[in-house]
Amino acid sequence: MLRFALTRVAMALPTLLIVAISVFVLIRLIPGDPASLMLGDLATPASIADLRARLGLDQSLPVQFGIWFGNLLRGDLGISINTQQPILPLVLSRFWISAQIVLVAVFLASLVAVPAGVIAAWRQDSQLDLALVALATLLLSIPTFWLGLLLLLFFGLKLGWLPVVGYVSLGDDPWRGALYLIMPILTLFLHEIGVLLRMARASTLEVLRLDYITHARAKGLSEMAVLWRHAFKNAFGPTWTLIGLVLGNLLGGIAVVETVFTIPGLGRLLVDAIFARDYPVIQGCMLLVAFTYVLVNLVIDLCYPIFDPRVTAQ
Amino acid sequence: MNRLLASACLLPLLASPALAQTLTVAVAADVRSINPGVNRDDNTDDFALQIVEGLVGYDEGGIVQPLLASKVETSQDGKTYTFTLREGVKFHNGAELTAADVVWSWNRYMDPKTDWRCLSEFDGRGGLKVEAVEAPDARTVVMKINQPNALFLDSLARTDCAMAGVTHRDSVKADGSWDKPIGTGPFKFGEWKRAEYFTMTAFDGYVSPKNDGKPDGYVGSKRPLLKEVKFLIVKDPATVKAGLTSGAIQLSEVLASDVEEIRKIPSLAVATAPTATRHVLLIQTRDAVTGNLKLRKAIAAALDMEEIVATASNGLGKPNNSPIYTRSAYFGEAQKQGHRYDPAAAKKLLAEAGYKGEKITILANKRPTVPSFPAAVVVQAMLQAAGINAEIEVIDWATQLDRYNKGNYQMQSFSFSARFDPALAFEQFAGPKDKQPRKIWDNPEAQAKIDRLTAIADKAERQKLVDELHKAVIDEVPLIFMYNGVDAIAHSKSLSGFQPWQSKLRMWEVTLAK
Repeated sequence: MLRFALTRVAMALPTLLIVAISVFVLIRLIPGDPASLMLGDLATPASIADLRARLGLDQSLPVQFGIWFGNLLRGDLGISINTQQPILPLVLSRFWISAQIVLVAVFLASLVAVPAGVIAAWRQDSQLDLALVALATLLLSIPTFWLGLLLLLFFGLKLGWLPVVGYVSLGDDPWRGALYLIMPILTLFLHEIGVLLRMARASTLEVLRLDYITHARAKGLSEMAVLWRHAFKNAFGPTWTLIGLVLGNLLGGIAVVETVFTIPGLGRLLVDAIFARDYPVIQGCMLLVAFTYVLVNLVIDLCYPIFDPRVTAQ
Repeated sequence: MNRLLASACLLPLLASPALAQTLTVAVAADVRSINPGVNRDDNTDDFALQIVEGLVGYDEGGIVQPLLASKVETSQDGKTYTFTLREGVKFHNGAELTAADVVWSWNRYMDPKTDWRCLSEFDGRGGLKVEAVEAPDARTVVMKINQPNALFLDSLARTDCAMAGVTHRDSVKADGSWDKPIGTGPFKFGEWKRAEYFTMTAFDGYVSPKNDGKPDGYVGSKRPLLKEVKFLIVKDPATVKAGLTSGAIQLSEVLASDVEEIRKIPSLAVATAPTATRHVLLIQTRDAVTGNLKLRKAIAAALDMEEIVATASNGLGKPNNSPIYTRSAYFGEAQKQGHRYDPAAAKKLLAEAGYKGEKITILANKRPTVPSFPAAVVVQAMLQAAGINAEIEVIDWATQLDRYNKGNYQMQSFSFSARFDPALAFEQFAGPKDKQPRKIWDNPEAQAKIDRLTAIADKAERQKLVDELHKAVIDEVPLIFMYNGVDAIAHSKSLSGFQPWQSKLRMWEVTLAK
């Protein structure tokens, strides 16, 4: 197991290197110059040239890459062009804010969606199944920004239960901080229920049609035993993989939700950095996103043997 | 269970607005720094200029007036400026403002290590050079410049230069690095939580230039009547609306398209005022198609400005074809003479231009804060109606600005930031394209007039030059000014004293009913 994990981590290094080079090159292929953006229409050629020189943007791309990559190997992701903040602590602090929302939302969504999907498959074509599938489709179809706004209007404006704008860190005030996180978590939770429920239902349906389930029933096992002891463990694999993919995607940025709920997370940082052409921040964010994706999927892979011992044997 | 119920009951209390006299203002972006004039944008300037003040500042009409100075005297040769400081002005740390503080602050700005945005405006690279700054006594500051320059005081008052705001030497740490602004403004710097909010608190020891309760740009009555102002960063306009409606936000700039809806909310009011920002259509005079003067005139004649402005500004703006903004002291009868909407003349001019239906692309961006895209849509429809094959290319702002700087376009729906003095208003778009491709209007004769406008102070002579330049811009159509920007600020009706002015959220003289 340890060897497997180490191999996977080692395999991540070339991935991260490719990401680093691709992001560095691609972001510079987009027209736009951070110095011009910072100075706006008041800029003169002299002021733009001054700022470019100060930001190191007047050097050739290979030189810029060499400096950046050299610093990266020493664990230094550079300084933000716009805010002059060191990037590593900046992206980590923003990542932590997004991660709190994503981890809780996906965990809760899994707790609800997986059993619901299994039950829907078990009662295929019943009214309950139809209702659950319809609900999942509806939740999946609603864009998160709209769902977020609806929640904001209902819980924030109509009922006045939750704060409409602002953000308080859990570290500063856990109780008030939690209040500010409820609606963003609820938004993602509802959306991810739609995603996970459909997968859990589909994979359970597939397993329920297999011969060994018929055999289990023929042995006289109760439906609960058939469903949870025999069907669920085999059916959960694809859903577990999907949870990993969903987590990887969401940890990479929930910019829309963060914008609606004024959460200063990683997604908003990345989007702002792209519009401002803040190259070092974009590079830092993308590297962290890629690393997170690799790490989450490694953890998912390492957990597979719990559900399917054949994975270890292979 | 009891704890849960108690928590549920507490939720509405926690969600309600904060203490009265703490005003919460929504802003779309964080400040870039708390170092005035260094790593700045409009938002950053706005915050800084509530905390620091310069020797001079703009009044409501964009005219430069004394601020920390009680009077400014210019020598006969126009090269020496003597500022007499107001008495009793104190820094936020209690220290009294002296001429030595002004000299120290100026020297810090002029140190290249400070990275002051306006260093090149005063070190000779732009022509103007401040050669000496002296403090002959505690209340007198003397500044000597290399040559007479009618824009010297204007440059000192510029908001993007943070008004060369005077800061106390305790604003920097022992190692010389910046700590926080200790200025003389009506508000003291409070707290800055990056990407979340920034705050300022009333300065009890503030000495206002005037005390009549009437704000006048940066130089009128500036009493800090609120205990604290919290600027909350809220990017989404829909969330801003929800925040205003709930009372969690008491003041915010809103989109022109939201004004009507917000005015229907009983607890809210919307204040509007024109600004010196100018929304324009840029035309590349070196392009093979749009380089044709008759074609450019045809474009101007094809545009029904009333309709464009009504649509793009949601009825809030008024057409102004002049580079001079409508509230400027230089906006007169000549500036009211703009382009005439005449579809028949447009068709005739197109025929004379030999136009054969070549495609003309209008660049536009979809930033919600500017009317680039909606204006482009109406313009496109009108040009097509006149027989011009106009298309819109939507790009992001960074790309549009890049193409503007390189002169790489045929037409652009663009916005110029505010320029109060007419010389600067013309300089913004006039100049040699060979040296600066971003320049729109390359006319040596006009350039000579702009240079003259920069050098002289006589109002009548300047007005004559401004009128001539305006007429030339209308005749040559290197660009088409459509209208001045409009501030639309929504606020709680419990708030009084706020007046929108040049997109600045001035918090002095503002009160909030308990």
